[in-house]
Amino acid sequence: MDTMSNWHERLVRKTTRPTLVTTYRYWVWLAFLVAVFANGVFQYSKQWSNGLYVTDMRDRISWGLYITAFVFFIGISHAGTLISAILRASKATWRAPITRMAELITAVALIVGASFVLIDMGRPERIFNVFRYGRWQSPIMWDVMAITTYLTASVIYLYAPMIPDLALYRDRLSNKVGVARRFFYETVALNWRALPSQVRLLGKAITIMMLIIMPIAVSVHTVVSWIFSMTLRVGWNTSIFGVLFVAGAIFSGVATLILVMAVLRRIYHWEEYLTPKHFLYLGYLLAAFAGFMIYVNINEFLTSGFKLEEEGEFAFRQLFVDDFALMFWFYIIGGLLTPITLMLFRRTRTIAGVVVAAVLVDIAMFFERYFIVVTGLRVPLMPYEPASYSPTFVEWSIFVAGIALFLLLITIALKVLPMFAIWEMTEEHERNVAREPIPILQGAHEGGGDGAPESPPDVERLAEGGVS
Amino acid sequence: MSYRPSRSTARIATSVMIVATILGLSGPAFAAGIGISVGAPESVAVGQQVEVKAVLSEDGVPVEGAEVALTYKATLGGKTDRVEIASATTDETGTAVMVYEQRANDNGEMQIVYLGPGTDPVDPFEFTIAVEKGGVQLYHSESGVKIPFVNGTLVILVIATVWVFISLSAVLLARVGKAGIVEDEASAESGSMWIGALLAFAAIFTAVGMVIVFVRAPLANTDLSHPGEYETHIDEYDRTELAHVGDLDPYVGFGLKDESAAQTGDPVEDGKVLSFEYACAACHAPSGLGGVVGPALIGEIGSFNNFVEEVRDGPKGMPAYSEATLSDADLQKIYDFLEAGR
Repeated sequence: MDTMSNWHERLVRKTTRPTLVTTYRYWVWLAFLVAVFANGVFQYSKQWSNGLYVTDMRDRISWGLYITAFVFFIGISHAGTLISAILRASKATWRAPITRMAELITAVALIVGASFVLIDMGRPERIFNVFRYGRWQSPIMWDVMAITTYLTASVIYLYAPMIPDLALYRDRLSNKVGVARRFFYETVALNWRALPSQVRLLGKAITIMMLIIMPIAVSVHTVVSWIFSMTLRVGWNTSIFGVLFVAGAIFSGVATLILVMAVLRRIYHWEEYLTPKHFLYLGYLLAAFAGFMIYVNINEFLTSGFKLEEEGEFAFRQLFVDDFALMFWFYIIGGLLTPITLMLFRRTRTIAGVVVAAVLVDIAMFFERYFIVVTGLRVPLMPYEPASYSPTFVEWSIFVAGIALFLLLITIALKVLPMFAIWEMTEEHERNVAREPIPILQGAHEGGGDGAPESPPDVERLAEGGVS
Repeated sequence: MSYRPSRSTARIATSVMIVATILGLSGPAFAAGIGISVGAPESVAVGQQVEVKAVLSEDGVPVEGAEVALTYKATLGGKTDRVEIASATTDETGTAVMVYEQRANDNGEMQIVYLGPGTDPVDPFEFTIAVEKGGVQLYHSESGVKIPFVNGTLVILVIATVWVFISLSAVLLARVGKAGIVEDEASAESGSMWIGALLAFAAIFTAVGMVIVFVRAPLANTDLSHPGEYETHIDEYDRTELAHVGDLDPYVGFGLKDESAAQTGDPVEDGKVLSFEYACAACHAPSGLGGVVGPALIGEIGSFNNFVEEVRDGPKGMPAYSEATLSDADLQKIYDFLEAGR
């Protein structure tokens, strides 16, 4: 039988492994990502000097891969909100090992997503005009507001629950890492000593952020959808877009979280913490959202297709049978029906099955974002030939660089930040084992090393503080 | 809700009184043929209903059944002409009452014109009605449903509330750091809380900034109803008046901001700029590579004579460029530029 302190020691050892051990494979991977990202920067330099002419975006189809990427990444950023905030609020205890990764994905995806708006601008130096001359009657302005708010909130929401873990890193790793990271941990750990007053304050901060970030997240992707649905364009002019976008965002966010979890679990041998149960629960969540997405799609296409107005016919044809049919049906069959099917059968209800579903969902959701952006602009509003659009090499390079940046930021975070909410997992484990608890947030005592007596009452106060 | 006389009703009442006064003082004009006298307010505001009274008399006898019109000088697209804004027929006292809504922000010279039935020429009566600054913004849509409290203020309140909570959390984090310092003074371990304070400051700074951006937004742009007051903002507002031609040569509509940009001495360089000046690039894309509307010119261009003929002719919906607009010399330069790009 495992004693509590053994369990805790092993947890700390295993979860701090990425921070302490750097293999050559890590460097190869890092170099690869940097190379892909650098290529994107180089291609962007062409766009910077020649303008958007280097893309295939023209007067009729003026949004393309960049806006697709923007919507896609902002969507992915909803992982953190759902997994972390909703599960925390509903006290779903199984969430503990996956919240940190979800919150990290949120912050990273937001940074990448927001930068695609800048990339889409022909004159990016004019971004400040948004603040100087912006009018709140414009949906673009709402977007700027919503994303700024969400980014600030999710950075705080990532940081606040991380403080006890950063303190643990400060106390345990300071003599094992270099000067820079030691300074970093000493700074960001905010003097955390698990003092009762600190526990109370931190608990309050986490609770406030947990509650406030849910409406913010929902509003963010709704506002993103409004960029489209506040126009009269065929295919965009629908009230269901907000729902479709928010559901799709959480859907793709969960899928991305599953992928990140699966990869890290494999590399760092975190099987003990990221159990099949976690994948299964997330798989169920994926299937549930797939079902909801099917419902929303039927609702949208049936209500507009049944009445089929004249301009709608073109939109339907290009989506269902012509140019975009392959993408559309992959989205419906591969991205929505298959995940449900995979979760229905015991044989496929495995980690591998869930990962396959997650891959399909992410690809399908990217397609969905793409055909929503492009088909909406492609419908001719006057009797002219429909325009065509296919992203150029520059656009693809920058898009791939966006993915690389996303992975790069996570890769760097692995070296610096605690990837698990160690204190939450420990609390959870204590509750499960129902053993005599040991203080887990007492960084100062552990760091001091000379055995200050552990005092169980502290832990009780922790629980009262409402941190859990 | 009780009935209150609106501002414009009061204005009409005032103007009627002014009319009466003017009529009383001046009396109908005595002259050969029909004379016109007018009662109108001295100044009005945009959006107001204005009543203008014209009294027609011939040798002291009121003219009944005469048609008169109220006109003012309007300028649109560089053209100035008289525009009729109201007309009426005189009653048995020789009075015609015309009501119009003040839309222009400057009336210039107004006239009452006699339209008939008589055919003898009648001198129009000239007068002015000054337009006060301010007043309502006419192009502002009056349609739509105004719901009390559901407006920009509510939006600002919601955003502010959200940010109060975000800032509060950041402040709490700063206090976490502070608590660690105070209660642990005895221990020698180094600690800092500046990151928490920085976070709190950043959150509050962004929060205040965001609300400021929102609050001042309607004033900053396109609110033209107060031209004097916000002129500086509008002047500063630099949308897309410049096009980039290679090394940042400015281009403003038809014509160049800086004429010297097309006088470098190198015909190819000049031609490149001129292709923007005459808006070739608008359809055929920069460098004549071809856009959605205009075909590619590079590589497709034939002899110079042929080129001139096409440009003067304007094939397939392309506007024809006459010599008055685009000289042969400039055309030669554009041709050289397109040739060079082959």
